[in-house]
Amino acid sequence: MSTSVGRDAVETWRALRTPLLVTALVVLAAIGVLIATSARTSGPFSPDSTKSDGARALAALLENHNVAVHSTESLDDAVKSGDGKALLVGPSGALDDSDWQEIANARWSHLILIRPSTRALTALAPGVSLSGDSVTSRSREPGCDLPAAVKAGTVTVSGPTYIAPENAVTCYGDGVHNTVVQLHVGDQTVDVIGTPLSFTNDQLADDGNAALALNLIGTHQDLTWYLPQWESTGADSPDGNSPPLIPPAVRYIGWALAFAVLVVAIWRGRRLGPVVAERLPVIVHAAETTEGRARLYRRSRARDRAAAALRESALGQLHKAHGIPRRADPSAVVATVAARTGRDPAMLYELLYGLPPLSDAALMSLSQQLDVLTQEVRHP
Amino acid sequence: MVLTGRAGLLAAAGVVFVALVMPSWAGVGVVVGAVLVISLVDILLAGSPRRLQFSREGDNAVRLGEQAVVNLLVTNPGRRGRGLLRDAWPPSAGVLDRPHKLDIPSGERRRLTTHLVPTRRGDRQSVRVTVRAIGPLGFAGRQGSQQVPWTVRALPPFKSRKHLPSRLARLRELDGRTALLVRGQGTEFDSLRDYVPGDDVRSIDWRATARRGNVVLRTWRPERDRQVAIVIDSGRLSAGRVGDAPRLDHAMDAALLLAALATRAGDRVSLLACDSAVRADVRRPAPEDVLPSFVNALANVEAELVQTDFRIVVSQVLERLGQRSLVVLLTGLDPAAIEESLLPVIGPLLRRHVVLLASIADPRLTELEASRTDLVEVYGAASAARTRLDRERLTATLSRAGVTVVDEPPDKIAPALADTYLALKKAGRL
Repeated sequence: MSTSVGRDAVETWRALRTPLLVTALVVLAAIGVLIATSARTSGPFSPDSTKSDGARALAALLENHNVAVHSTESLDDAVKSGDGKALLVGPSGALDDSDWQEIANARWSHLILIRPSTRALTALAPGVSLSGDSVTSRSREPGCDLPAAVKAGTVTVSGPTYIAPENAVTCYGDGVHNTVVQLHVGDQTVDVIGTPLSFTNDQLADDGNAALALNLIGTHQDLTWYLPQWESTGADSPDGNSPPLIPPAVRYIGWALAFAVLVVAIWRGRRLGPVVAERLPVIVHAAETTEGRARLYRRSRARDRAAAALRESALGQLHKAHGIPRRADPSAVVATVAARTGRDPAMLYELLYGLPPLSDAALMSLSQQLDVLTQEVRHP
Repeated sequence: MVLTGRAGLLAAAGVVFVALVMPSWAGVGVVVGAVLVISLVDILLAGSPRRLQFSREGDNAVRLGEQAVVNLLVTNPGRRGRGLLRDAWPPSAGVLDRPHKLDIPSGERRRLTTHLVPTRRGDRQSVRVTVRAIGPLGFAGRQGSQQVPWTVRALPPFKSRKHLPSRLARLRELDGRTALLVRGQGTEFDSLRDYVPGDDVRSIDWRATARRGNVVLRTWRPERDRQVAIVIDSGRLSAGRVGDAPRLDHAMDAALLLAALATRAGDRVSLLACDSAVRADVRRPAPEDVLPSFVNALANVEAELVQTDFRIVVSQVLERLGQRSLVVLLTGLDPAAIEESLLPVIGPLLRRHVVLLASIADPRLTELEASRTDLVEVYGAASAARTRLDRERLTATLSRAGVTVVDEPPDKIAPALADTYLALKKAGRL
C-alpha cells in the first residue's frame, strides 16, 4: 500500500551541486578580494592614501630619497627584528601594553612615534609624558639644536605636546610643552612627534614641513610604516590603566553561541515533509472585458461612443415603459415621452438624439439627465 | 536527520557553560561534542520511519463544502516509534488537522484521522506521509516520507437543491396528481373521467358523454419519456468569475437542478460537457442514477481557455438524440462567440429539437451601469450599457432563430431554468 520516498546519492548530488558551486565561487571571490587588498593600507596617515588626511605625498618623497617604505597594518610586521631599520608608528589604533612591549623588544634602530598614546610612551619612550596641553595650528620656530629641525626651519604644528626628561632634545615648544621630542634609549633613537597633520598630503608643502619630515623619518634606508589597528594578541595585564571593556572569553562565547544558533537553525529549519504545490485553474473576472472597454473609452476620450451607448440604453427603457414600437420615428418617440413626462420636446430631442457631447462635463451632465429621465420611467 | 528544541536548549546551555566555566577552546569543544554525541545516540536509537507500514480507509467522495474523513492505519513492526506524522495533501484539499502526534509501541497499529474540507471541485490526491521519529532522549531523530495514495473527489455542491421541492410541487400540479386535469395542462391524452362542477366545459368529450349517458371529461397530462440533453460549455466563456464562482460552477448547479426535476417528470436526461473536446459524457442513465452519475462526471471538469467548437457540440448532440428532444445549452451570451461559432451551425439542431440557451448574467454589469457619480464611472456605465445592448440584440437574434433564451444572474439561473423547462412542458412543446 505504501511506497518509500527518498533521495539516493545521485539525486542528492544533483540537488546540491549548484549551491555548492555558487558557494565555492563566492569563497574564491572573497579570497581574491582579500589578496588584492591585503598589501594596501587605508585611512588617515596611510602612505597609500591620496586623500587630504593621507600621507601618500610623504611616502613618495621618501622613496625619491632612496628610502624603501613598507606599509603595513599587521602587528606581526612591527614586532619582527628591526636592527638597522626604522619603524614609524601611526597615530591610529589601539594596542595593549604587551604589544607595545613586544615592539620595544624588537630593537628597531630608529622609532618614530606619531602622536603616541600614554601606553606607547611608557613602553617605548620612558620619561616622556603627555603634557595635557595641545596647540592649535600655528607656525613655530624650532627653538632647539636638533639638526633636522634647524635645517627645516619654521614648521606648522598642531596637536598634543609632551613633557620630556632631562636627557632628551626638545623642539617646537616652550621648553615644557614640546611637539617634537628626540631621545636615545640604549642604542635606539626614539622620535616623538605630536603633530601628524603637518605630514599629511594637505600640509606637507607648507613651511618647512617636508624638510622636517625627510630629516626626521628618512634616516634609514628601510622604513616600516606601521598603522596600528584594533587588534591585540593577549589579555591586558590585570594592573592595566583601563579595565577591559569586553570579557577576554568573548571569542569562545561567540563560537559557542554560533554553534547554538546552528543547532536552533537546524531544529527550526527542517520541514516536516516538502511543500505541496498545486495546479490552479484559470479564473478571470467575467466583467473584465466590459471594464477594459470602459478604460479604453476613457483613455481615448470616446465621448461619442459612450454617449451613444447611454442614449441607446435609455431609449430602450423608454420604449419598453411607454409601449413605443421598436422602429418608431425619433419625433414620435420624443412626442410620446414629452406627453408622458411633461418635458420640453426640443430639449428631449436634444437629450436623446442630439450631437455627441464635446467635453467631459457635457458627457457627465448628459448621463445625469438620461439617468433622471429613466428613473422617472421606473418610479413614476 | 532532525534536531529538536531540546538540542537547541542544550546548545544554549553550552554558551553559559563556556562563559562561566570553561572560557577556552576546550570548553567550546566539550559543548559541541556533547550535543553531537547525544544527538547521534538519539538518532541511532530512534525507530526507522521507512519501516512503518501504512494503509488507508475512508471517504472517496465528498460534496464541496462538506467534510471528508480519511483514516491512515500505521503499523509499526520495528522499535517503538515516537514523533510526528504529517499527512500531506494539496492546499485545496483543505486539511484541518495539524501534524499528528505519533506513539506506537513495537508491533502495534494505530489509526490516525485526517479531516478534509475541499475548497475546490475535482480529485484531490494525497501527496505523501512524512514521519519524524524522535529518539528516546528527545534530542534528535530521523525523518522519512512514504507515498500512501488516496483520492478524495470533491463533487459539485448542488446548492440549488433548495429550489427542488417547490418545482416538484408545480410539476405535480401539471401532472394532475393534485389539481384538476383539464385542457391546457398538457397535450397528451390521459383518460376520461366524470364531470365535476367547476371543470372547464371545453374539455367535455361529447361522444363519450353520449355513449355513457352522463357527462364525461377528457383529461390531459404532460408528455412523459421525452429526452433532455444538457450541454455545458466548458470553454473560455465559462472561466469567467461571476460573483464568487466561475460561470462553469453556476452552470453545473443549474444543470443538476434541471436534471433532478426532469428525471422526476419522467424524462430521460443526458449530459455533455464540451469545449474543443468532450470533457464529460453521461448518456441516459437510469433515473435513480442520474444525480450521482452527473455529479461524478462533472467533478473534474474545469474551464479550458479555448474557444468552444460548437460544430463538435452540435454533431455530438445530434448523434445521441433520436426523437425530438429538449437541448439545453449552458453557455455565455458573448456576441462574438455565439454569432461566429454557434449560429452558423445550429440549423440542424433547431430543425429536429427544441433548443434552450441558458446564460449566467453578471450582476456586476448592472452595478456598473447604475453608478454614474464621476467621469470614470460614466465611462464604465456606458461600456456596461453597450455590453447589455449587445446581449439583448443577441437574445433577439437567437429568439428569431427559434432558440429560447434564459439570461439570469447566478442566484436565479437554476430556478429560472427549471421554470422555463416546466413552462415548455406545460405548453406541450417537448
